[in-house]
Amino acid sequence: MGRSTRRAQGRDAAGLQKRRKEVQKVPTGIAGLDQVLGGGVPAGRMTLVGGGAGSGKSMIGLQCLLHGAGAGEPGILVMFEERATSVRQNAMARGWDLAPLEKKNKLCLLDARLSPEVVVSGDFSIKSLLAILDQKTKAMRARRIVIDAVDALLYLYDSPLRERQELYALHEWLLDRRLTTIMTVKTVPQEEPHSRYAFLDFMADCVINVDQRVTAQITTRRMRVIKYRGSGYGRNEYPFVISPDGVTVMPITSNVLRHIPLGPKVSSGQARLDDVLAGGYRSGASILIVGTAGSGKTTLACIFSQAACRRGERVLYINFEESAESMVSSMLSTGLALRPLIKNGTLMVRSYLPEAMGVEEHLFHALEALDEFQPRHVVVDAISACRRMGSEFHAFEYLMRLLNACKERGITCFYINQATGLDIIAEVSGIGISSIIDTVVLLRHLPIGDTMKRQLIVMKSRGSKSSDQFHAFRITDRGIDLGKAEPGDTVGRSAHPTGFGRTGDR
Amino acid sequence: MKARRRETGRGATDRGATYVFRLFVAGNESNSSQAKGNLARLCEEHLKGRFEIETVNVLRDAATAYKHNVLLTPTLILIKPHPKVTVVGNLSDNRQVLAALRLTGNGR
Repeated sequence: MGRSTRRAQGRDAAGLQKRRKEVQKVPTGIAGLDQVLGGGVPAGRMTLVGGGAGSGKSMIGLQCLLHGAGAGEPGILVMFEERATSVRQNAMARGWDLAPLEKKNKLCLLDARLSPEVVVSGDFSIKSLLAILDQKTKAMRARRIVIDAVDALLYLYDSPLRERQELYALHEWLLDRRLTTIMTVKTVPQEEPHSRYAFLDFMADCVINVDQRVTAQITTRRMRVIKYRGSGYGRNEYPFVISPDGVTVMPITSNVLRHIPLGPKVSSGQARLDDVLAGGYRSGASILIVGTAGSGKTTLACIFSQAACRRGERVLYINFEESAESMVSSMLSTGLALRPLIKNGTLMVRSYLPEAMGVEEHLFHALEALDEFQPRHVVVDAISACRRMGSEFHAFEYLMRLLNACKERGITCFYINQATGLDIIAEVSGIGISSIIDTVVLLRHLPIGDTMKRQLIVMKSRGSKSSDQFHAFRITDRGIDLGKAEPGDTVGRSAHPTGFGRTGDR
Repeated sequence: MKARRRETGRGATDRGATYVFRLFVAGNESNSSQAKGNLARLCEEHLKGRFEIETVNVLRDAATAYKHNVLLTPTLILIKPHPKVTVVGNLSDNRQVLAALRLTGNGR
């Protein structure tokens, strides 16, 4: 059940066409992993998952068993290190209740830990384990098995030869029963690439390595398929997350851009700004709002959000700067009432501390929100804070992939970028995403005499005409009050290079 | 289908406690046969007349092995006197086994 056989066409040496049969596969049910494996793990064969402590090996195994239990393939979990009770509790914490599956003989947890008090005297074998597994396999018609932390068993043997003999015996037994097996083994990254268990790699038909590494104080998880006999597979390193729902692997699918063309114009929420934008923003576009601190970027985004929500278009607001509460209350002063919109479910505000998670986890949360909430528009406030996910590169990765996800779904994406200096035009390209940005709105406020003057300019607007002049604006208790176009080169000459500050045609 | 064999040493003395063992074996494979032989010899030498050995063949009775969480063969469990002791292996290291079973020092 749930197996897929793929046939590939090939030509042999004589040039005759022949049918090449790819191995039968069993889906693991882990989002993304099956995609990387081209359908799943090899059916009736062994897959080795290696990784350090806490890298997610056991979770991959358990998820595969749970998926099997739900797909008519009962499974056995042999644990050499963890207690059955703690596995049940940890599973429960993720909302997986194992008890009913165990009762219905869809899942069997076999506690194979060896008491530390056991005295070893002379040679021994795992025949008893095999006898027990034999009985269980027959009784519950098991199709899948996970051998978790097999290294704990191997440590009992003094001799590398006996280690191998016993593992080969186990492997033979598994093959004879045609059980789809996931065996996990701890590896220590500092050592020679699991020298002690290198033979496991040769024995297994599919080898997957998982690890977690810390860069710039933030942890990221990566997995890589090392080999897959008789099958192709994704050869990159793929990021993955362990969320409350389990492991999710995120293959970067966008070698092909599957972007939906820009949609119709939607109002910016401000009539004058709509004029400047020649009717509003294009829905499904990516829009960058750049400006110095306090120049009104968040206000501009919130004005749009309020208008969109009132039209019944859901908006997801990802805030890396402040909590939903503080955003709502500070927007009250500009006459924006966001609370009712949150209450009626058209506006969703998600606040995160950038440094709290790695890029994958941030992405996971964002993509999950896209799928669950199905917004028409997304605001990220502010992308400059994304650097705190680790580095400029991490910020780029996050923003690029989120933007791609939005583009594939036809979701309008507002990226707010806080510029640090006066020369904000140089920061428009910030984090290297400008090439896929459709519209850039630049805000600045400049000291003119003894007052601060705010100006707005639409610098780039793909697929649309727009005014290319600076417009003075004020933030009032009724939102933004946008003035007429004014010559850009009368103020703050130093703030803009040639080509942008010039007076437009209108 | 139970395949247990009970051997009782005759004339258990009152002085020393009776040792009750359960030995898990996998048929007649080499390690299991060796363990049987080594245990029998040890009992004759150190526990004459005051031991009981229950042998469980895991190939025939996996349920008992499962019940007692015995995954490796041979496995010797000292049930009485307390505390329980588990020794894994063919029992080839006589001194180590005696020490584990608390039989050093009172042997002859």
